[in-house]
Amino acid sequence: MAQVFQVIGTRPIRHDGLDKVTGRAQYGADIQLSGMLHGRVLRSSHAHARIKSIDASAALKVPGVEAVATAADLPESGDRIAHLGEGAVNLRHLSSNCLARGKVHYKGQAVAALAATNPHIAEEALALIKVDYEPLPPVMDVREAMKDSAPKLHADVFTEEMGQLKKDKPSNVAKHFQFKLGDVHKGFAQAAVTVEREFHTATVHQGYIEPHNATAMFNPDGNVTIWCSTQGAFTVRAQVSELLQIPVSRIKVVPLEIGGGFGGKIRVYLEPVAAVLSKKTGKPVKILMDRAAVFEGTGPTPGSYIRVKLGADKTGKLVAGEAYLAYEAGAFPGSPIGPGAMCIFACYDIPNVLIDGFDVCVNKPATAAYRAPGATNAAFASETVVDEICRQLKIDPLEFRLKNGAKEGTRRADGPIYPRIGMIETVEAAKKHPHYVAPLAPGSSPFPRGRGVASGFWFNIGLKSSVTASVNNDGTVSLVEGSTDIGGTRVSVAMQLAEALGIRAEDVRPVVADTDSVGYTDVTGGSRVTYATGWAAYEAAQDIKWQMLEKAAQLWKTDLDNVVYDKGVIRAKDDPAKKITFKELAEKIQHKGGIVVGRATVDPPWPGGAFATHIVDVEVDPDTGKVSILRYTAVQDCGKAIHPSYVEGQIQGGAVQGIGWALNEEYAYNAKGEMTNASFLDYRMPTSLDLPMIDAVIVEVPDPKHPYGVRGVGEVPIVPPPAAIANAIYAAVGVRMNELPMSPGRVVKALAAKK
Amino acid sequence: MKNFTYFRPTTPEQAVALLENRWGNTELLAGGTDLHDLQKEYVAQPARVVSLSGVNALAGIRVEEKSVRIGAGAKLADIANHAELKRLFPSLTDAADQIGGPQIRNMGTLGGNLCQRNRCWYFRDEHTNCLLKTGQRCFALDGENKYHAIFSQGHRCVIVNPSTLAPALIALGASAVVQGPNGRRTIELGRFFRAPGANNEREHVLEANDMVVEVTIPRSNLANASYEVRHKQAYDWPLVQAAVSFERGDGGVRNPRVVLGHVAPTPHVAEAAARSITGQAVSEATAGAAGRAAAQDAKPLSQNGYKVKLVEVAVKRALIIAAGQKRYWEV
Repeated sequence: MAQVFQVIGTRPIRHDGLDKVTGRAQYGADIQLSGMLHGRVLRSSHAHARIKSIDASAALKVPGVEAVATAADLPESGDRIAHLGEGAVNLRHLSSNCLARGKVHYKGQAVAALAATNPHIAEEALALIKVDYEPLPPVMDVREAMKDSAPKLHADVFTEEMGQLKKDKPSNVAKHFQFKLGDVHKGFAQAAVTVEREFHTATVHQGYIEPHNATAMFNPDGNVTIWCSTQGAFTVRAQVSELLQIPVSRIKVVPLEIGGGFGGKIRVYLEPVAAVLSKKTGKPVKILMDRAAVFEGTGPTPGSYIRVKLGADKTGKLVAGEAYLAYEAGAFPGSPIGPGAMCIFACYDIPNVLIDGFDVCVNKPATAAYRAPGATNAAFASETVVDEICRQLKIDPLEFRLKNGAKEGTRRADGPIYPRIGMIETVEAAKKHPHYVAPLAPGSSPFPRGRGVASGFWFNIGLKSSVTASVNNDGTVSLVEGSTDIGGTRVSVAMQLAEALGIRAEDVRPVVADTDSVGYTDVTGGSRVTYATGWAAYEAAQDIKWQMLEKAAQLWKTDLDNVVYDKGVIRAKDDPAKKITFKELAEKIQHKGGIVVGRATVDPPWPGGAFATHIVDVEVDPDTGKVSILRYTAVQDCGKAIHPSYVEGQIQGGAVQGIGWALNEEYAYNAKGEMTNASFLDYRMPTSLDLPMIDAVIVEVPDPKHPYGVRGVGEVPIVPPPAAIANAIYAAVGVRMNELPMSPGRVVKALAAKK
Repeated sequence: MKNFTYFRPTTPEQAVALLENRWGNTELLAGGTDLHDLQKEYVAQPARVVSLSGVNALAGIRVEEKSVRIGAGAKLADIANHAELKRLFPSLTDAADQIGGPQIRNMGTLGGNLCQRNRCWYFRDEHTNCLLKTGQRCFALDGENKYHAIFSQGHRCVIVNPSTLAPALIALGASAVVQGPNGRRTIELGRFFRAPGANNEREHVLEANDMVVEVTIPRSNLANASYEVRHKQAYDWPLVQAAVSFERGDGGVRNPRVVLGHVAPTPHVAEAAARSITGQAVSEATAGAAGRAAAQDAKPLSQNGYKVKLVEVAVKRALIIAAGQKRYWEV
């Protein structure tokens, strides 16, 4: 039975909108404190080297320089593994990623930092810190790094082979695991068509506009306050606590507005360094990164090598799938190989599957999460092979997906059986969409055009969220939450509270609080905030409702079971004359009856997962290899779209990042392992002029567990674009692109090779 | 950025007097879109910066009877949007209109565009001491060179000249008026650029105490056009550019000039292409043949073979545009 909503599904103005469009919103770079020092970080100029010594004496002599920090100022973390909101982290590695200990493993790794009275002095003095390196040969490619002969990044990283640590010799392969379902040999024996292909994808960055920043103030009483741009104030607190060995209760993290994160602002880089410098100087210390530092010194998403083999019988039913995925972890183990392997065949019901995953260290920055981490690489490979199978069997690619698509009850290769999901519904909606029914979009040229489709999956997460909600005497509710608002979640969370209370979204005043002012809340990531923090808001509303009912019962001197709450009005069951609105009662209790504060914490089950199917028309200039996108439609199951504008924004944003990944973006490295294009000019992210309007189509298959059916929307839209575009390029010019990005040079080369 | 002393003269003569006879210690600042980037990246570390913001004589675009004179301080946006220039020299205004984005075009100047430093990623890396700094070798020769020169025979450094106005201006026969310590002189833009091949050499022939004050273009009825093969539509440089000009005559194209950008350490005059189209009526076939002629002598490096094909396309399309024919690549 479909629920009828008052607030959900409408498009109120976001509460933080005015501050953002008028430039009043406070970002990390805006922080100014009295006596504040400015920190700068010295970064490695080598991709791989031993640090023989660091001599900061000349820098410390510069007037205005107050302190220098190196790894020696961080406590030895040992080999402890901590769960810090982004999966398990080896603290020694995390610490070395903030300030390198003994060795540098990528160009741009932080080696030392200093604090001075102004940024110019800090920068000048930084150049006086002498680091004596012993350069080592770097290894930059995942398959090179897997060879026995490759230079080893770590003496203490061993392969975890199917759960067993092989301690005989160090290896760049930190992990090898398998997901198995059925029997692939038997499966492929039934196949009428088998296609096996290899794929390479480049290292790419999230490309958030706001660089990382952190300001720390370490007080003599041992309490430290940190202002920063983060996707999770509590994970910053936990990481700083572990890295500096300070109890969490001594750390207050104040999350400021965030200029984009996409997964890249979960791990700490500057926060512990600013705290150390503040402790040493007794003054607040602020550190900002510049763009080159963001590219070279923070976590991009991995480059990868993937091999996919799929078999289908002559009716087009998939019978077996095999995948080999090797992901570049960067400097330290921890690539998103797990999710990549989980997602690669997740859109389909395949009875026999074997997936091998490898997590491999190379001399690039330690990879971080990026919007559906690992899934886009995987889908590029699997969805291209699916397209080839469809062509060989002459089956419409959407028909193929209807026939093979995962549904409730399908078992995924990594184990879980799907609950109610919406894969099939996205394909049906795509099939009916005017874009798919229409002939190819007209191009600006007479050059070949083609259409491609691809689907994608991302699992989304639940995790913990807390809120408190105070009823004000003017009938509004102040909502305090711990979830950084990246994509409009203040409003999507507030709307769920408003819906539950029967009040207007505008009458909820959401605020994202610091770690001392709200209950524990996990990161903004995994497409979880509207799902889980929204759920917490719903529960807090129930708490408020019960308290308001009690107040009304007291007011009317009647029993609690005689009062009901209905769309913002409280009534007595036995007397139609007795009714009072939420607002009236809020005003009354201020004088008599007592204040109402609702609260909730949730740790909900994981959602059913999100599916998307994208359709793209491209035009390929066969002379220049330039691929232009003519029309793009992104269909996605959103469960329930709380605020459709921000759902559409997420879908469009994800698709655009996927298009950049497909056609433009890559870390270019030279032989010494140095990134050669660490600027937005040379990294070539697409701009609005390079893209058409993305048509976002919302399909709603409510998640039955969530009070309002929410599933989470932020990540899956980045998954299908590279494969959809590659399939469209094939349709246009008959070449299979198996390497990202599909830049003009590569397309020209592929076309020449075809001739 | 290294600290520097800031000067703000009001005449070209004063500006030149503040310069030194060696490169690097003093830099001219016009729009700042290139110099400040280089300073922030520590590739340029001048101790003295001479701002031209107070030199009013450098601004202005004057269309005169015999020539068009454009001040070195004219903003790229002003060039791109100048109605008379658009009519006379669409190759120049189209090229200007595609540079960077609106902010860059509102700040960047003609003089800066001609004298900007190259975009080689080895040169732009603070830590790479290449031949153009004080090092001994060009790292792109056998390194990462997918955006580098394909006409680079014998050159010790394989950058591409980054100016997109230069090919258009050379094809139009333009000259630079240069102020030096001993007065002014005129240099044809066709002789203005050079392939740097030693420490501290620049991409042009000026002395360290020279500055461009004006560019003059002879007035003519030359058909002209510039075509850029680009990856991105904004905030990007072309992969390859072709600028062409020619006289229209009964017997077909006369006195054509074909100048390529982003293929060599200097703007590259493609004489074979000019010979190929001379006396021909411009058609897809003849323009295509000229394109192939332009690409004939290319010697690509290990990673930029794809640019050879792009030269053919750019020349072909520039000729078609200049001839006012239907752009076959558009509908």
